[in-house]
Amino acid sequence: MKVRISDDALALACGADAVATAFADAGAEVERVSSWGMHWLEPLVEINGIGFGPVTAADVAEILNGGADALCIGPIAAHPFIARQQRLTFARAGKTRPLSLDDYYATGGWQGLAKAREIGPSATIDAVLASGLRGRGGAGFPAGIKWRTVAGASANQKYIVCNADEGDSGTFADRMVMEGDPFMLIEGMAIAGHAVGATKGYVYIRSEYPHAIAKMEAAVKACAHLIAPFDVEVRVGAGAYVCGEETSLLNSLEGKRGEVRAKPPLPALEGLFGKPTVVNNVLTLATVPWVMANGAEAYAAYGMGRSRGTMPIQIAGNVKHGGLFETAFGITLGELVTDIGGGTDSGRPVRAVQVGGPLGAYHPPSQFDTPFDYEAFTGIDGLIGHGGLVVFDDQVDMARQARFAMEFCAAESCGKCTPCRLGSTRGTETLDRVLAGENVDANLALIEDLCDTMKFGSLCALGGFTPYPVMSAITHFREDFVVRTKA
Amino acid sequence: MTYQPQADFGTPASRSDEQVTLTIDGREVTVPAGTSVMRAASEQGTSIPKLCATDSLASFGSCRLCLVEIEGRRGTPASCTTPVEPGMVVKTQTPHLAKLRKGVMELYISDHPLDCLTCAANGDCELQDQAGAVGLRDVRYAADATHLGQTKDHSNPYFDFDPSKCIVCSRCVRACDEVQGTLALTVQGRGFGSKISAGLSSDNFLGSECVSCGACVQACPTATLVEKKVVEIGTPERSVVTTCAYCGVGCTFRAEMRGEQLVRMVPWKDGKANRGHSCVKGRFAWGYAQHQDRILKPMIRASIDQPWREVEWDEAFAYAASELKRISAKYGKHALGGITSSRCTNEETFLVQKLVRAGFGNNNVDTCARVCHSPTGYGLKTTFGTSAGTQDFDSVEDSDVILVIGANPTDGHPVFASRMKKRLRQGAKLIVIDPRRTDLVRSPHIEAQHHLALRPGTNVAVLTAIAHTIVTEGLVDEAFVRERCDWDEYREWADFVSQARNSPEMLEPVTQVPAAELRAAARLYATGGNGAIYYGLGVTEHSQGSSTVMAIANLAMATGNIGRRGVGVNPLRGQNNVQGACDMGSFPHELSGYRHISDGETRRLFEGEWGVPLDPEPGLRIPNMLDAATDGVFKALYVQGEDILQSDPNTKHVAAGLAAMECVIVHDLFLNETANYAHIFLPGSTFLEKNGTFTNAERRIQPVRKVMTPLNGLEDWEVTQELARAMGLDWNYAHPSEIMDEIARLTPSFKGVSFDRLDQEGSLQWPVNDAAPDGSPIMHIDGFVRGKGKFVVTDYVPTDEKTGPRFPLLLTTGRILSQYNVGAQTRRTDNVLWHEEDLLEIHPVDAEDRGIKDGDWVKLASRAGETTLRATVTERVAPGVVYTTFHHPLTQANVVTTDYSDWATNCPEYKVTAVQISPSNGPTDWQEDYEAQARRSRRIAEAEAAE
Amino acid sequence: MSSTLDNLVRMANQIAANLQHEPDPAAATAEHIHLFWDPRMKRMIFDHDGTGLSPDAAKAIAALKASA
Repeated sequence: MKVRISDDALALACGADAVATAFADAGAEVERVSSWGMHWLEPLVEINGIGFGPVTAADVAEILNGGADALCIGPIAAHPFIARQQRLTFARAGKTRPLSLDDYYATGGWQGLAKAREIGPSATIDAVLASGLRGRGGAGFPAGIKWRTVAGASANQKYIVCNADEGDSGTFADRMVMEGDPFMLIEGMAIAGHAVGATKGYVYIRSEYPHAIAKMEAAVKACAHLIAPFDVEVRVGAGAYVCGEETSLLNSLEGKRGEVRAKPPLPALEGLFGKPTVVNNVLTLATVPWVMANGAEAYAAYGMGRSRGTMPIQIAGNVKHGGLFETAFGITLGELVTDIGGGTDSGRPVRAVQVGGPLGAYHPPSQFDTPFDYEAFTGIDGLIGHGGLVVFDDQVDMARQARFAMEFCAAESCGKCTPCRLGSTRGTETLDRVLAGENVDANLALIEDLCDTMKFGSLCALGGFTPYPVMSAITHFREDFVVRTKA
Repeated sequence: MTYQPQADFGTPASRSDEQVTLTIDGREVTVPAGTSVMRAASEQGTSIPKLCATDSLASFGSCRLCLVEIEGRRGTPASCTTPVEPGMVVKTQTPHLAKLRKGVMELYISDHPLDCLTCAANGDCELQDQAGAVGLRDVRYAADATHLGQTKDHSNPYFDFDPSKCIVCSRCVRACDEVQGTLALTVQGRGFGSKISAGLSSDNFLGSECVSCGACVQACPTATLVEKKVVEIGTPERSVVTTCAYCGVGCTFRAEMRGEQLVRMVPWKDGKANRGHSCVKGRFAWGYAQHQDRILKPMIRASIDQPWREVEWDEAFAYAASELKRISAKYGKHALGGITSSRCTNEETFLVQKLVRAGFGNNNVDTCARVCHSPTGYGLKTTFGTSAGTQDFDSVEDSDVILVIGANPTDGHPVFASRMKKRLRQGAKLIVIDPRRTDLVRSPHIEAQHHLALRPGTNVAVLTAIAHTIVTEGLVDEAFVRERCDWDEYREWADFVSQARNSPEMLEPVTQVPAAELRAAARLYATGGNGAIYYGLGVTEHSQGSSTVMAIANLAMATGNIGRRGVGVNPLRGQNNVQGACDMGSFPHELSGYRHISDGETRRLFEGEWGVPLDPEPGLRIPNMLDAATDGVFKALYVQGEDILQSDPNTKHVAAGLAAMECVIVHDLFLNETANYAHIFLPGSTFLEKNGTFTNAERRIQPVRKVMTPLNGLEDWEVTQELARAMGLDWNYAHPSEIMDEIARLTPSFKGVSFDRLDQEGSLQWPVNDAAPDGSPIMHIDGFVRGKGKFVVTDYVPTDEKTGPRFPLLLTTGRILSQYNVGAQTRRTDNVLWHEEDLLEIHPVDAEDRGIKDGDWVKLASRAGETTLRATVTERVAPGVVYTTFHHPLTQANVVTTDYSDWATNCPEYKVTAVQISPSNGPTDWQEDYEAQARRSRRIAEAEAAE
Repeated sequence: MSSTLDNLVRMANQIAANLQHEPDPAAATAEHIHLFWDPRMKRMIFDHDGTGLSPDAAKAIAALKASA
């Protein structure tokens, strides 16, 4: 009997290895696959397409005997959580062994690269442009325009840099790609290299993702001959959120302090070691093979407005059904949190949802009709960012959350620019006073001025976006700041 | 003139030819493409508030004060990092911008000590200025975490570091990176905890790699890095632009004064040689002017065994004149001579050689260039027609391949080295030819493509092998050679270098440079783009010094690397005015402008101006003067600003020569070693105490301006004039400008030079004549000065100085950054902290063979003599080669150097001496005897009586 | 060390050795000495009997002496 269990880090954290061992001991043939991204069900066990979860070692015998109905969710692919998705980038999630070249090839792998090589660099860039693919790291800049700039630059060396620093709390899509479908990311980088004339690629992975690092290194070795002459190297960060900012990442890759660089010059023209460089997020690059294999029009057919294609949304926090939900742009926030997420895990009412990472705005339920779309979220003083959303119930102290935003900025600040270096510390101190009930109105006014300084004055989005969570908390949940009944 | 800080446009100027027009605050401004909005506004007269931007450094964008609004663009971009675009419309002041700037400033001040009134930067603080400019009135933050009360770092002798005042603008770090190129400073930690650090967090400034150039102090907008003198005295009230008196780079500084007290020397941004940079010596080591060792009164004595007797100027001049006349009468006029100083001004040097020629009646005048760059004079005059380098320093910015031979610029010409390193970091390639692994070979972000570690004494062989490669591999720029050089002479030279015996392979046993490496270096120089050669005393101080210079010139001509920016032959002249001393006719065979004394027309021009007949025969060079002295026929010497006993080779011979003279007149700041044998001491004045000009290695004549009354009472030119008048010459110069006018009348290449013109232009590079009324930055552009460039066959003739069983090692010598030459000035400043003694560098293999450990005392012996110093074991030198410096008289390094010299100019072969090293207990007999004699000779009668 | 005369002989030989590429090394040596040596140095070498001088150096001195 073939049993499939994920070796994704989240599954491992839930005890997947013990479950796998128990099945193996019981004589089953165990295949370790990528995760389906249904986090409340991990460790998820699949037998002939039927899913059981969350499974412990103690349940193994019963499952093998055909019992364990309480754990059975029926055919996984038909589960509403999965059925409602449009999985283009995550098409293979749960279905293949991450490091198996056979599995990858059998599920359409390498077709994108073949297409790109067939139509040539210029047509490849045209395809990416036509697809409407925008940077999925958070900036939302059209990938095709970036590639075209690099392609047009003349230099004796160009680079593709994959930003796998995924530092936002509540996000895991990049990790899932690297652990679950690494060849797809590598193929995307190779296509990018072919399109712009870069022979070398780096994947900069945050140090806190050891499983992803190991998987990527193994994958790079395994498929080197297929992507040659393009060469990929895995590099590891050192625990700095700010190195998810592209110029700070480049400095880190060059062996320098992870300090943000001023722009211009754009990395597309003067990037890694001063050479023209494409810096793209994991999801952006991982989506490219699908676009090339299935056509730009097919990708652009999904979505709304200027947000074309699908977004792998990461649902997390105090939510019943957390996980990876890939769907076309346009789904509303409310649908995501209530219908798909199932509301809070605690059962209490949802009070706030933070979208876009720790520097994203907090949205009250009154904004739940907002569609997932870059421009729509900008319109409500929010941002999609990398697509993570974190759910909070009514026990959350929004003043503390605002303080956390400042504290987070202070902890992660590279220290180069004044508004972030000093402002985040002063902001933390000032919010501490508000939390203590001291001069609340005056201090809130000071916070507003500080947020203006940080928003318009900061060198990068770390300081620049900290006002989003802070001001949205003050705007929508002012009562938490002025009436300090919470401890 | 009231004190004004130097203008700062915020970001560096752009070199583009393309012009861009934009509108700033409603007014149109046109600037080169690549200029930042900040600079464009600044040039228009609008100062956008800034703290992290300064025009000597690339923009950084960290303070966030300089935000502007640009039509059509979102947000508020920083004007320092935003390049201008055609048609851009910029507003530098709006209510929102004003609010943002106040917000940023409020944050700064929330973490800054509020002690403005007692702070060393009060009145000269950019933070203070900007707080005022943005209108900050109120700091609403009740700051908990701050950086106040941190420990100050007083370790550096010249400046303090107070972290409490730091605003983390990173200007110091960037200055150390971009301007100096040492990369000693960094930011430790991140975020709020960011701290400027001079290396590891355990380092202080003195213990770190900091070379104390002062660039960080100059860049710092607050009192975080501040000169100790400013802390002690206060801010200056006026400044005077003058030229440094140390090395041949010739940095210009603003001497910032309060009354006649020098507060600090700040590099002048408009200085064409240094472009706003400096090294530890010029920037900080000027305290020797007030050192207690300085002699301020004239002194005389009948014999050198007696103590000195202080006298008034009149008596000193009368005594000197009477002695000189007596000796001339008794031994003939050829028994007298003079040595001009390459550290005194052009005007002063001109007067000394005039005194010798018009007063003594002979041509026995020489200068220190004898012992350093006289081969340059001979070699470049022969090949190109000009006894000087062909470029200016800016030229290095256009070089693609830089070949450094026999020079250690990071130590000897630090400010130029920083400029060279900047170009190297941008991608230019480097070839180093030096027996020693100098700092340039491998330093942060710089690595020589090729380091040819040749055996000392084999320069000509290496250059011939390079020439062989270039000619036989078809890499000659034939078009250039045909047009600009004598083709027949070229063919003769090409045939010579092409001989099989001159191949890199055949010469490898001689040079010890692997043939493949040498060939690669040759190809790089010939084909890598603009190739520039920079050389120093490692080329000239050899028995074939002149030949080596000519070999270098041959390579430059053969590859067409002459006559435009980025190329050329560049001798790194050592002294602040050695180029000038040579220009002024300090050599015994030449009048000013390098015209041979036998040239009747030139002689008549001088005779007409001076009113006396001139001797048409060449006179004595310094070593020949000493030979003549020991032979009993040379009896009197007037030495200005030169210490031949410490700096010339074969100390014993020099001492014998001086001892044999009857009247030695030393004109200097301190009782130097030569004064041990002097009968008359005339106290000199420092560069701060006189007006005049210095000429640097670029042929750049720069003003020296007096900022204080001479402590000794007279400027040096006045001393020489009085001496001349005491001898009966009717000299009446009222001001050095009159001397320069005379020089201009008599010297064609100086025709257009005058003090007025120098005041207007700042500096002028000679020739300044009708053909080039504004001076000549690059020479030999259309043709060589001599017409066609001359190829000279230079066959390798090994030096007579051979190693053998008795003296199996080769000694070569050099310099260090913090001390200058014989250390007369720098040993009398706090620079002694860095280099208290000369050390002998010895390779581990040689050390082990002799049982020598790092720090041991060793005896250094040659056939000339022996001395003792401490050893340092290092792999910088190859096995078989040892190295030391000569900054401390106690070391007596020149006791071991020989009287072998360059065949053409007698430039001593300092760089090759056969020696033996052995462990030692203590100083040699010579050192002890020398010390005793020196002590006896320095006694001053009044001081004795007082004891 | 060596006497002045020894030095002069060595210097003359050294000059000649370094001018071997000239069409007439002796003449070039003579020219160099003429331009750069002071009269007394010239007299000393003229008075010397030629011991130790290399052939080209000796020829040069002889020529100078003749035209002096």
